[in-house]
Amino acid sequence: MVSNCQGLSSPEKQFPELVSKITAHLPVIIQLREKHLTAKALYELALKTISHMLGNRSLLCINERFDVALAAGADGVHFPENSCPLDKALAASPGMVAGKSTHSLKQALSAEADGADYLIFGPVFETPMKKRYGPPMGLDKLNEVCRSVSVPVYAIGGIIPQNTLQCLVHGAYGVAAMSVFYTADNLGRTLDNFRTVLER
Amino acid sequence: MKTQHAILCCITADSQCPVTQAEKALKGGAAMIQLRHKSASGSELYNWALDLKELCHAYNAICIINDRLDIALAADVDGVHLGQEDLPPSAARKLLDKNKILGVSVSSVTEAEKAVQSGADYVGLGHIYPTISKRKSGEPVGPGRITEIAKNLAVPVIAIGGITDKNVCEVIRAGASGVAVISTVADAPDPEKAASSLIQNMQSCLL
Repeated sequence: MVSNCQGLSSPEKQFPELVSKITAHLPVIIQLREKHLTAKALYELALKTISHMLGNRSLLCINERFDVALAAGADGVHFPENSCPLDKALAASPGMVAGKSTHSLKQALSAEADGADYLIFGPVFETPMKKRYGPPMGLDKLNEVCRSVSVPVYAIGGIIPQNTLQCLVHGAYGVAAMSVFYTADNLGRTLDNFRTVLER
Repeated sequence: MKTQHAILCCITADSQCPVTQAEKALKGGAAMIQLRHKSASGSELYNWALDLKELCHAYNAICIINDRLDIALAADVDGVHLGQEDLPPSAARKLLDKNKILGVSVSSVTEAEKAVQSGADYVGLGHIYPTISKRKSGEPVGPGRITEIAKNLAVPVIAIGGITDKNVCEVIRAGASGVAVISTVADAPDPEKAASSLIQNMQSCLL
Protein backbone atom coordinates (compact mmCIF):
# COMPACT_ATOMS: atom_id res chain seq x y z
CA MET A 1 0.00 0.00 0.00
CA VAL A 2 1.57 3.23 -1.20
CA SER A 3 0.61 6.16 1.00
CA ASN A 4 -0.96 9.34 -0.33
CA CYS A 5 -1.77 11.57 2.62
CA GLN A 6 -2.42 14.51 0.31
CA GLY A 7 -5.35 12.56 -1.08
CA LEU A 8 -7.04 12.52 2.33
CA SER A 9 -9.10 15.38 3.73
CA SER A 10 -7.79 14.92 7.28
CA PRO A 11 -4.69 12.70 6.97
CA GLU A 12 -3.73 13.10 10.65
CA LYS A 13 -6.76 11.06 11.65
CA GLN A 14 -7.59 9.09 8.50
CA PHE A 15 -4.16 7.70 7.64
CA PRO A 16 -3.53 5.87 10.94
CA GLU A 17 -7.08 4.45 10.71
CA LEU A 18 -6.38 3.25 7.18
CA VAL A 19 -3.14 1.62 8.32
CA SER A 20 -4.90 -0.24 11.13
CA LYS A 21 -7.73 -1.34 8.88
CA ILE A 22 -5.48 -2.64 6.09
CA THR A 23 -2.92 -4.37 8.32
CA ALA A 24 -5.74 -6.05 10.26
CA HIS A 25 -7.06 -7.53 7.01
CA LEU A 26 -3.93 -8.81 5.30
CA PRO A 27 -0.13 -8.66 5.41
CA VAL A 28 1.10 -5.60 3.50
CA ILE A 29 4.13 -3.48 2.85
CA ILE A 30 3.17 0.07 3.70
CA GLN A 31 5.25 2.42 1.61
CA LEU A 32 5.36 5.93 3.05
CA ARG A 33 5.72 8.15 0.03
CA GLU A 34 5.07 11.72 1.12
CA LYS A 35 7.39 13.98 -0.83
CA HIS A 36 5.78 17.17 0.45
CA LEU A 37 6.67 16.41 4.07
CA THR A 38 9.73 17.69 5.89
CA ALA A 39 12.04 15.01 7.31
CA LYS A 40 10.75 15.81 10.78
CA ALA A 41 7.11 15.34 9.75
CA LEU A 42 7.98 12.16 7.84
CA TYR A 43 9.78 10.79 10.90
CA GLU A 44 6.76 11.56 13.09
CA LEU A 45 4.39 10.01 10.55
CA ALA A 46 6.56 6.88 10.47
CA LEU A 47 6.41 6.54 14.25
CA LYS A 48 2.65 7.03 14.19
CA THR A 49 2.25 4.49 11.38
CA ILE A 50 4.28 1.87 13.26
CA SER A 51 2.09 2.36 16.33
CA HIS A 52 -1.05 1.79 14.23
CA MET A 53 0.10 -1.34 12.37
CA LEU A 54 -1.78 -4.40 13.54
CA GLY A 55 -0.54 -7.99 13.55
CA ASN A 56 3.08 -8.79 12.90
CA ARG A 57 3.03 -9.75 9.26
CA SER A 58 3.21 -6.26 7.73
CA LEU A 59 6.25 -4.12 6.99
CA LEU A 60 6.79 -0.37 6.91
CA CYS A 61 9.08 0.97 4.19
CA ILE A 62 9.97 4.66 3.92
CA ASN A 63 10.39 6.12 0.48
CA GLU A 64 14.04 6.92 -0.23
CA ARG A 65 15.00 8.37 3.17
CA PHE A 66 16.82 5.48 4.81
CA ASP A 67 17.97 7.89 7.51
CA VAL A 68 14.35 8.44 8.51
CA ALA A 69 13.69 4.68 8.27
CA LEU A 70 16.62 3.86 10.55
CA ALA A 71 15.76 6.62 13.01
CA ALA A 72 12.09 5.64 13.25
CA GLY A 73 12.74 1.90 13.41
CA ALA A 74 10.93 1.12 10.17
CA ASP A 75 11.49 -2.21 8.45
CA GLY A 76 12.87 -0.93 5.20
CA VAL A 77 13.31 1.62 2.49
CA HIS A 78 11.75 1.94 -0.91
CA PHE A 79 13.97 3.58 -3.51
CA PRO A 80 12.41 5.55 -6.36
CA GLU A 81 13.91 5.51 -9.82
CA ASN A 82 16.23 8.53 -9.41
CA SER A 83 17.36 7.77 -5.86
CA CYS A 84 20.83 7.70 -4.42
CA PRO A 85 22.57 4.57 -5.86
CA LEU A 86 21.01 1.50 -4.25
CA ASP A 87 24.26 -0.32 -3.46
CA LYS A 88 25.71 2.78 -1.70
CA ALA A 89 22.51 3.36 0.25
CA LEU A 90 22.36 -0.29 1.34
CA ALA A 91 25.98 -0.25 2.47
CA ALA A 92 25.03 2.65 4.76
CA SER A 93 21.78 1.12 6.06
CA PRO A 94 22.49 -2.42 7.21
CA GLY A 95 19.52 -4.61 8.07
CA MET A 96 16.98 -2.63 6.09
CA VAL A 97 14.64 -4.36 3.66
CA ALA A 98 15.20 -2.62 0.33
CA GLY A 99 12.65 -2.17 -2.43
CA LYS A 100 13.20 -0.50 -5.75
CA SER A 101 10.81 0.96 -8.32
CA THR A 102 11.55 -0.22 -11.83
CA HIS A 103 10.05 0.58 -15.21
CA SER A 104 12.04 -1.71 -17.52
CA LEU A 105 13.75 -5.11 -17.57
CA LYS A 106 17.14 -3.40 -17.58
CA GLN A 107 16.33 -1.44 -14.41
CA ALA A 108 14.96 -4.57 -12.76
CA LEU A 109 18.13 -6.55 -13.45
CA SER A 110 20.37 -3.78 -12.21
CA ALA A 111 18.28 -3.28 -9.05
CA GLU A 112 18.54 -6.99 -8.27
CA ALA A 113 22.30 -6.90 -8.87
CA ASP A 114 22.59 -3.88 -6.52
CA GLY A 115 20.90 -5.82 -3.73
CA ALA A 116 17.20 -5.01 -3.84
CA ASP A 117 15.10 -7.40 -1.75
CA TYR A 118 11.98 -6.76 -3.80
CA LEU A 119 10.99 -4.83 -6.90
CA ILE A 120 7.95 -2.85 -7.86
CA PHE A 121 7.34 -3.00 -11.60
CA GLY A 122 4.91 -0.96 -13.62
CA PRO A 123 2.76 0.68 -14.65
CA VAL A 124 1.17 -2.60 -15.69
CA PHE A 125 -2.30 -1.19 -16.36
CA GLU A 126 -3.66 2.28 -17.13
CA THR A 127 -3.54 4.61 -14.13
CA PRO A 128 -3.89 8.36 -13.69
CA MET A 129 -1.31 8.38 -10.87
CA LYS A 130 1.54 7.07 -12.99
CA LYS A 131 0.93 8.87 -16.29
CA ARG A 132 4.40 10.34 -16.15
CA TYR A 133 5.90 6.90 -16.66
CA GLY A 134 4.24 6.64 -20.04
CA PRO A 135 1.79 4.09 -21.40
CA PRO A 136 1.11 0.91 -19.41
CA MET A 137 3.58 -1.88 -20.05
CA GLY A 138 1.12 -4.72 -19.84
CA LEU A 139 1.21 -8.24 -18.47
CA ASP A 140 3.74 -9.65 -20.95
CA LYS A 141 6.43 -7.19 -19.84
CA LEU A 142 5.56 -7.99 -16.24
CA ASN A 143 6.02 -11.67 -17.01
CA GLU A 144 9.37 -11.05 -18.70
CA VAL A 145 10.65 -9.19 -15.64
CA CYS A 146 9.34 -11.80 -13.19
CA ARG A 147 11.00 -14.61 -15.16
CA SER A 148 14.32 -12.72 -15.28
CA VAL A 149 14.82 -11.93 -11.60
CA SER A 150 14.73 -14.10 -8.50
CA VAL A 151 13.50 -11.47 -6.03
CA PRO A 152 9.76 -10.87 -5.48
CA VAL A 153 8.15 -8.51 -7.97
CA TYR A 154 5.08 -6.45 -7.07
CA ALA A 155 2.97 -5.23 -9.98
CA ILE A 156 1.86 -1.59 -9.81
CA GLY A 157 -0.33 0.67 -11.91
CA GLY A 158 -4.09 0.39 -12.14
CA ILE A 159 -4.24 -2.54 -9.71
CA ILE A 160 -7.68 -3.60 -8.47
CA PRO A 161 -8.81 -6.91 -6.93
CA GLN A 162 -10.26 -7.93 -10.32
CA ASN A 163 -6.92 -7.83 -12.18
CA THR A 164 -4.71 -9.07 -9.35
CA LEU A 165 -4.98 -12.73 -10.35
CA GLN A 166 -3.73 -11.90 -13.86
CA CYS A 167 -0.65 -10.29 -12.30
CA LEU A 168 0.01 -13.36 -10.16
CA VAL A 169 -0.47 -15.67 -13.13
CA HIS A 170 2.12 -13.59 -14.99
CA GLY A 171 4.69 -14.15 -12.26
CA ALA A 172 4.10 -11.30 -9.80
CA TYR A 173 4.64 -12.13 -6.14
CA GLY A 174 2.12 -9.49 -5.14
CA VAL A 175 0.56 -6.20 -6.14
CA ALA A 176 1.08 -2.57 -5.11
CA ALA A 177 -1.59 0.08 -5.17
CA MET A 178 -2.42 3.52 -3.94
CA SER A 179 -5.67 4.81 -5.46
CA VAL A 180 -7.77 1.74 -4.74
CA PHE A 181 -7.28 2.09 -0.99
CA TYR A 182 -8.29 5.72 -1.03
CA THR A 183 -11.23 5.60 -3.39
CA ALA A 184 -12.87 2.35 -2.32
CA ASP A 185 -16.49 2.83 -1.31
CA ASN A 186 -16.22 -0.20 0.90
CA LEU A 187 -12.60 -0.67 1.95
CA GLY A 188 -13.36 -3.82 3.96
CA ARG A 189 -14.85 -5.52 0.91
CA THR A 190 -11.97 -4.37 -1.33
CA LEU A 191 -9.46 -5.80 1.15
CA ASP A 192 -11.41 -9.07 1.38
CA ASN A 193 -11.38 -9.29 -2.40
CA PHE A 194 -7.62 -8.75 -2.49
CA ARG A 195 -7.11 -11.35 0.20
CA THR A 196 -9.21 -13.93 -1.58
CA VAL A 197 -6.99 -13.64 -4.66
CA LEU A 198 -3.65 -13.24 -2.89
CA GLU A 199 -4.14 -16.16 -0.52
CA ARG A 200 -5.19 -18.50 -3.22
CA MET B 1 33.27 28.12 22.87
CA LYS B 2 35.31 30.09 20.39
CA THR B 3 37.57 28.82 17.63
CA GLN B 4 40.98 30.26 16.80
CA HIS B 5 40.28 31.03 13.20
CA ALA B 6 37.04 32.47 11.98
CA ILE B 7 35.21 29.95 9.81
CA LEU B 8 33.51 30.78 6.54
CA CYS B 9 30.85 28.28 5.56
CA CYS B 10 29.45 28.68 2.05
CA ILE B 11 26.03 27.18 1.43
CA THR B 12 25.22 26.33 -2.16
CA ALA B 13 22.46 28.28 -3.90
CA ASP B 14 19.87 26.37 -5.93
CA SER B 15 20.41 28.59 -8.96
CA GLN B 16 23.86 27.35 -9.97
CA CYS B 17 25.88 24.13 -10.07
CA PRO B 18 26.97 23.39 -6.48
CA VAL B 19 30.38 22.12 -7.56
CA THR B 20 31.23 25.27 -9.56
CA GLN B 21 30.08 27.44 -6.65
CA ALA B 22 32.09 25.43 -4.14
CA GLU B 23 35.27 25.63 -6.17
CA LYS B 24 35.14 29.43 -6.23
CA ALA B 25 34.32 29.64 -2.52
CA LEU B 26 37.15 27.24 -1.63
CA LYS B 27 39.64 29.19 -3.73
CA GLY B 28 38.58 32.22 -1.71
CA GLY B 29 39.32 30.35 1.51
CA ALA B 30 36.00 28.88 2.68
CA ALA B 31 36.58 26.26 5.39
CA MET B 32 33.24 24.54 5.00
CA ILE B 33 30.87 23.86 2.13
CA GLN B 34 27.26 22.95 2.82
CA LEU B 35 25.39 21.28 -0.02
CA ARG B 36 21.84 22.55 0.11
CA HIS B 37 19.41 21.88 -2.69
CA LYS B 38 15.75 21.37 -1.95
CA SER B 39 14.51 20.09 -5.31
CA ALA B 40 17.34 17.84 -6.55
CA SER B 41 16.85 14.07 -6.77
CA GLY B 42 18.71 11.68 -4.48
CA SER B 43 20.86 10.62 -7.40
CA GLU B 44 21.90 14.20 -8.23
CA LEU B 45 22.63 14.99 -4.58
CA TYR B 46 24.72 11.86 -4.20
CA ASN B 47 26.84 12.67 -7.24
CA TRP B 48 27.33 16.29 -6.15
CA ALA B 49 28.23 15.10 -2.66
CA LEU B 50 31.00 12.87 -4.01
CA ASP B 51 32.42 15.68 -6.14
CA LEU B 52 32.19 18.21 -3.31
CA LYS B 53 33.84 15.87 -0.83
CA GLU B 54 36.82 15.39 -3.11
CA LEU B 55 37.04 19.11 -3.83
CA CYS B 56 36.72 20.16 -0.20
CA HIS B 57 39.34 17.70 0.95
CA ALA B 58 41.75 18.96 -1.71
CA TYR B 59 41.36 22.39 -0.08
CA ASN B 60 41.49 21.01 3.46
CA ALA B 61 37.88 22.06 3.95
CA ILE B 62 34.83 20.30 5.35
CA CYS B 63 31.93 19.03 3.25
CA ILE B 64 28.51 18.73 4.86
CA ILE B 65 25.00 18.22 3.55
CA ASN B 66 21.84 20.05 4.52
CA ASP B 67 18.91 17.92 5.76
CA ARG B 68 19.73 14.73 3.81
CA LEU B 69 21.50 12.52 6.33
CA ASP B 70 20.85 9.59 3.99
CA ILE B 71 23.00 11.20 1.30
CA ALA B 72 25.63 12.23 3.85
CA LEU B 73 25.90 8.61 5.03
CA ALA B 74 25.90 7.05 1.55
CA ALA B 75 28.48 9.50 0.20
CA ASP B 76 30.45 9.42 3.46
CA VAL B 77 30.92 13.20 3.62
CA ASP B 78 32.07 14.99 6.77
CA GLY B 79 28.70 15.66 8.29
CA VAL B 80 25.15 16.92 8.09
CA HIS B 81 23.40 20.18 8.92
CA LEU B 82 19.85 19.94 10.27
CA GLY B 83 17.19 22.61 10.47
CA GLN B 84 14.38 22.59 13.02
CA GLU B 85 12.08 20.87 10.48
CA ASP B 86 14.57 18.12 9.65
CA LEU B 87 15.24 14.82 11.42
CA PRO B 88 15.57 15.38 15.20
CA PRO B 89 19.30 15.93 15.96
CA SER B 90 19.33 13.28 18.72
CA ALA B 91 18.04 10.68 16.24
CA ALA B 92 20.55 11.82 13.62
CA ARG B 93 23.43 11.68 16.09
CA LYS B 94 22.78 7.97 16.67
CA LEU B 95 23.19 7.29 12.96
CA LEU B 96 26.23 9.48 12.51
CA ASP B 97 29.75 8.35 13.46
CA LYS B 98 31.32 10.16 16.40
CA ASN B 99 33.97 11.67 14.14
CA LYS B 100 31.37 13.16 11.79
CA ILE B 101 30.02 16.67 12.22
CA LEU B 102 26.47 17.48 13.24
CA GLY B 103 25.34 21.07 12.80
CA VAL B 104 21.94 22.32 13.93
CA SER B 105 20.07 25.53 13.03
CA VAL B 106 18.87 27.44 16.08
CA SER B 107 17.39 30.84 16.78
CA SER B 108 17.20 30.91 20.58
CA VAL B 109 19.15 29.99 23.71
CA THR B 110 16.75 27.12 24.40
CA GLU B 111 17.15 25.67 20.93
CA ALA B 112 20.94 26.04 21.14
CA GLU B 113 21.15 24.22 24.48
CA LYS B 114 18.86 21.50 23.23
CA ALA B 115 21.00 21.09 20.10
CA VAL B 116 24.16 20.65 22.17
CA GLN B 117 22.43 18.11 24.42
CA SER B 118 21.43 16.22 21.29
CA GLY B 119 25.05 16.02 20.19
CA ALA B 120 25.51 19.01 17.89
CA ASP B 121 29.13 19.93 17.10
CA TYR B 122 28.19 23.49 16.18
CA VAL B 123 25.04 25.56 15.96
CA GLY B 124 24.05 27.77 13.07
CA LEU B 125 22.37 30.80 14.63
CA GLY B 126 20.05 32.95 12.59
CA HIS B 127 18.85 34.79 10.98
CA ILE B 128 20.97 37.61 12.38
CA TYR B 129 19.99 40.27 9.82
CA PRO B 130 17.15 40.50 7.32
CA THR B 131 17.83 38.16 4.40
CA ILE B 132 16.32 37.24 1.07
CA SER B 133 18.20 33.96 0.57
CA LYS B 134 15.89 31.77 2.57
CA ARG B 135 12.27 32.53 3.19
CA LYS B 136 12.37 33.09 6.91
CA SER B 137 9.59 33.52 9.35
CA GLY B 138 10.00 35.87 12.25
CA GLU B 139 12.18 38.85 12.92
CA PRO B 140 15.99 38.81 12.67
CA VAL B 141 17.51 37.85 16.02
CA GLY B 142 20.26 40.49 15.82
CA PRO B 143 23.92 40.21 16.90
CA GLY B 144 22.98 40.50 20.60
CA ARG B 145 21.60 36.94 20.45
CA ILE B 146 25.05 35.67 19.40
CA THR B 147 26.58 36.98 22.63
CA GLU B 148 23.73 35.62 24.68
CA ILE B 149 24.19 32.13 23.23
CA ALA B 150 27.97 31.97 22.69
CA LYS B 151 28.98 32.91 26.23
CA ASN B 152 27.73 29.66 27.78
CA LEU B 153 27.66 27.24 24.86
CA ALA B 154 30.10 24.33 24.65
CA VAL B 155 30.23 24.40 20.85
CA PRO B 156 31.00 27.09 18.25
CA VAL B 157 28.27 29.43 17.06
CA ILE B 158 28.17 30.06 13.30
CA ALA B 159 26.10 33.13 12.47
CA ILE B 160 23.84 33.11 9.42
CA GLY B 161 21.42 35.44 7.69
CA GLY B 162 22.15 38.67 5.86
CA ILE B 163 25.87 38.64 6.60
CA THR B 164 28.07 40.83 4.38
CA ASP B 165 31.42 42.62 4.54
CA LYS B 166 29.65 45.52 6.24
CA ASN B 167 28.40 43.61 9.29
CA VAL B 168 30.67 40.56 9.56
CA CYS B 169 32.95 42.27 12.08
CA GLU B 170 30.03 43.02 14.37
CA VAL B 171 29.04 39.36 14.24
CA ILE B 172 32.52 38.11 15.13
CA ARG B 173 32.91 40.66 17.92
CA ALA B 174 29.58 39.49 19.31
CA GLY B 175 31.12 36.03 19.78
CA ALA B 176 30.48 34.04 16.61
CA SER B 177 33.17 31.56 15.60
CA GLY B 178 32.34 32.12 11.98
CA VAL B 179 29.64 32.88 9.48
CA ALA B 180 27.58 31.00 6.94
CA VAL B 181 26.46 32.71 3.74
CA ILE B 182 24.57 31.86 0.60
CA SER B 183 24.04 34.85 -1.66
CA THR B 184 26.87 37.03 -0.32
CA VAL B 185 29.27 34.65 -2.04
CA ALA B 186 27.14 32.77 -4.58
CA ASP B 187 25.59 35.87 -6.14
CA ALA B 188 28.68 38.10 -5.96
CA PRO B 189 30.18 39.21 -9.30
CA ASP B 190 33.39 37.47 -8.16
CA PRO B 191 32.51 34.76 -5.59
CA GLU B 192 36.15 33.88 -4.90
CA LYS B 193 36.93 37.50 -4.04
CA ALA B 194 33.74 37.79 -1.98
CA ALA B 195 34.76 34.76 0.10
CA SER B 196 38.31 35.97 0.70
CA SER B 197 37.07 39.43 1.58
CA LEU B 198 34.73 38.04 4.25
CA ILE B 199 37.57 35.98 5.72
CA GLN B 200 39.93 38.96 5.80
CA ASN B 201 37.32 41.06 7.49
CA MET B 202 36.65 38.37 10.10
CA GLN B 203 40.35 37.84 10.81
CA SER B 204 41.06 41.53 11.13
CA CYS B 205 38.46 42.00 13.84
CA LEU B 206 39.69 38.93 15.75
CA LEU B 207 43.05 40.68 16.21
